[in-house]
Amino acid sequence: MDLEALKAEWVGLDFDEKKFDLSAEQLRVFAVSCGEEEPRFIDPNDPDFQAAPTFVTTLRSARVLPSGFPNLGRPFDAGKKVILHAPIRGGDQLIGRSRISDIYSKTGRGGPMIFVVHEMEFRNQRDELVAVVDSRQINQPEAK
Amino acid sequence: MAGPSFDDLEVGDELPEFKPDVSMERIRLFVGPSGMAAGRFTDHEAARKEGLPGAIVPGILSAGILAGLIHRWAPGSRIRQIDTVFRAPVLVDSHPLCRSVVTDKDESDRTVEVDLTITNEQGETRVMGTARVEL
Repeated sequence: MDLEALKAEWVGLDFDEKKFDLSAEQLRVFAVSCGEEEPRFIDPNDPDFQAAPTFVTTLRSARVLPSGFPNLGRPFDAGKKVILHAPIRGGDQLIGRSRISDIYSKTGRGGPMIFVVHEMEFRNQRDELVAVVDSRQINQPEAK
Repeated sequence: MAGPSFDDLEVGDELPEFKPDVSMERIRLFVGPSGMAAGRFTDHEAARKEGLPGAIVPGILSAGILAGLIHRWAPGSRIRQIDTVFRAPVLVDSHPLCRSVVTDKDESDRTVEVDLTITNEQGETRVMGTARVEL
């Protein structure tokens, strides 16, 4: 696998856009599931009611990888980074835009692994940037 | 409840440990609205058929649990960034432990960095991460 050629072709490419209409109930259930106890996360009547910080990780794009992206092996979810810019509220309408932000390799116990980072940027109905989520996907070419 | 004062915190301070609820009931509450209602999360037998030791906690729920740990320690705090690494599955109906320690203080914006872990009953780290928190 020519990693540099893969990066040149795919990194920075915008490949998906999806709209999300958020309900207060959706936000509340997520926060309760995570064990949040503060009214700002679990009480829709709280004047500062907002999504718990990692709620955006539940908002998934229509595609995980761009159409035509090569099969790199069995994928695993290796982790997520969430950068928060502004509160997300019940009733917000978010647009999530996806791109591949990085591709890199590491060698682990199981052999070579290729990491693909799927960056999803979320803006609200006022076009304010509210959050960015980086999802790291491990691909193990030799995994069966 | 008042949270910790930025000025009183020191690098190395540990947050109170937390035992999260990862019961099947809690997981089923989570997966419906999250669109993750796969058997590997909600059914031990279905997970075993996939080669797993039992149903597993979705990674994004583990991330949310760690954010909750921070809010229990510092109510009203604002998490600016949280980065989690899913090293190995946390099993549903197990008894994991969440721990965290302060690793950095930034006087310029009065934020702290904390390291986060979820370990299983054997003390093995399953999820690890870092967060930048404004107090």
